[in-house]
Amino acid sequence: MVGQLADYISALATQLVKNKVETYVVTYHDSVTGAVEEANGVKVARVANPVRTHIGVLTWDLTLNQEIERAAANIYYGANKQINLINVYDWHFIPAAVTLKNALNIPFVYSVESLESHRSPNSNTPHNMSIKSIEWLGFYEAEKVSVKSEWMHDEIVRIYSVPEEKIQIVSPSSDTWIKDAVRLYKTVAGGLKSK
Amino acid sequence: MKNKLSVMMFTWEFPPRVIGGISPHVFFLSKSLAKTGVKVHVITCDFPGAPAHEVIDGVDVYRVDSYKNPAPDFATWVYLMNLNMQKEAAVIVNKLENKIDVFHAHDWLVATAGIGLKHIFRKPLLVTMHSTEIGRRDGLHTDAEKMIHETEAWLTYEAWRVICCSDYMVSHVRWAFGLPEDKLVMIPNGVNLSVYYGIENDLAPFRSKYALPEEKIVLYVGRLVYEKGIHVLINAVPKVLEKINAKFIIVGSGYMKEQLQNIVRSMNLEHKVLFMGFVDEETLLKLQKCADVSVVPSLFEPFGIVALEAMAAKSPIVVSDTGGLSEIVDHDVTGFKTYPNNPESLAWGISKILLDENYKNYIRENAYRKIQEKYDWKKIAQQTKAIYKAVLGEFSKSFWA
Repeated sequence: MVGQLADYISALATQLVKNKVETYVVTYHDSVTGAVEEANGVKVARVANPVRTHIGVLTWDLTLNQEIERAAANIYYGANKQINLINVYDWHFIPAAVTLKNALNIPFVYSVESLESHRSPNSNTPHNMSIKSIEWLGFYEAEKVSVKSEWMHDEIVRIYSVPEEKIQIVSPSSDTWIKDAVRLYKTVAGGLKSK
Repeated sequence: MKNKLSVMMFTWEFPPRVIGGISPHVFFLSKSLAKTGVKVHVITCDFPGAPAHEVIDGVDVYRVDSYKNPAPDFATWVYLMNLNMQKEAAVIVNKLENKIDVFHAHDWLVATAGIGLKHIFRKPLLVTMHSTEIGRRDGLHTDAEKMIHETEAWLTYEAWRVICCSDYMVSHVRWAFGLPEDKLVMIPNGVNLSVYYGIENDLAPFRSKYALPEEKIVLYVGRLVYEKGIHVLINAVPKVLEKINAKFIIVGSGYMKEQLQNIVRSMNLEHKVLFMGFVDEETLLKLQKCADVSVVPSLFEPFGIVALEAMAAKSPIVVSDTGGLSEIVDHDVTGFKTYPNNPESLAWGISKILLDENYKNYIRENAYRKIQEKYDWKKIAQQTKAIYKAVLGEFSKSFWA
């Protein structure tokens, strides 16, 4: 666990399973790797980075994405290619989501927890710009973008000019949280093949 | 095979983008594979003026926007470039309805694109290791070097087969990454004989621009850097001139250029040593045809393509007995081997060839025959195709098939 995202995904995945959505989580762990089905019915695949030495978070992230792709591909083929949708959280695994979409025709939802512009205000070093360019790629390639608040909705419109009709607010504090999430998924699932 | 064998190659350089040896290698390999009936798709980096997609002699070449994402340093740029390369390749494979049989990556510069696509499309991955970080740097001294080394190790781990261009590189790569012996294959680098066809005609006016009729031409082609041993050749110049009248033509550039020019000036031999810098392709081919002897005095050499080019141009060669050069040359048969880092030995080899016309002709004829037998792109393409087929045979028994 690094931030509050881990708890959120855990709660969301548990609720999705209860609502009869087959849910797989692909994530990172440095030592406990492999695929398991947890007590709540969520199937989790954890991968580590085969490259141990790095010069920055970007090289670490971009190499780790290949392992994320490997784990995701294993799930895809294991499920007889019946994966309708990918939901990616923040910039880290956008490269994998983008390749999986273009390779296997699986649309993805990009859920925004935070943006580089907020995490590193007024930073325009190549490092920050690089992360911003990955966020941009995510907004461009995503079928839908989900945010948790009106404020974040306005921010991604302001900073990235994301079309408003692409953005959906799914607030965890709302009574209709899971319903909203499932409804969003349903508008996107299988969307690429019909195009 | 039900359909035409189809391969997708990844390379960070492809003509007109030429940085090192991978670019011409993939250029000739892909074209020669196409002639043997293999469908080749090359995915590479963009270059100003070069089209995003073109077909060259049956090879589909796709150039990817490689500067889409700003990068803080070279290694990070490489991984970001791979992000875009992988995405574009995914689109292409998808459009081709997955009709790609194998992925083939060239060096760590395209490692992550190849590794990810292997798993997503469940196709075998092959890699050609042209060089290694641990070899280039003579050890691993920084985190960046270690990271590149570990990426190379990962790539060779993920690959079904690892191709190297010389026996020297096979043993080096095996040692560097602890690979099992049966994973490695040696397929030599090739040389294109046809580029020298028809150049013979009318070389006298060209030659007269560089040397007097009574001067023999000694040619060096390579970067002017320490590991290429160019300083050994410069130190051999006076020893050769004691015996024979010659002009030394140095093609290439590098950080040692000024230092070397100063040495030549201090020896009062500026009229005998000509520093040409970079030259265009046609001038280079003509110089290789004109040369009475070509010298490759390297101290470290994974392969030694310059020696092969000279052999293809029918220029007799004098090389230092090291690395890939030791394999290319049979001493006294296809060339003359000298002790590395030894100007006396080098001067002796050069003089031997320049003074003995019969010996010179014997060497160059043998060398040309060897080139045709072993380093012809057609043969190399056939060997590569055979490896693809062998891998696909093994693959057909795997649970991915």
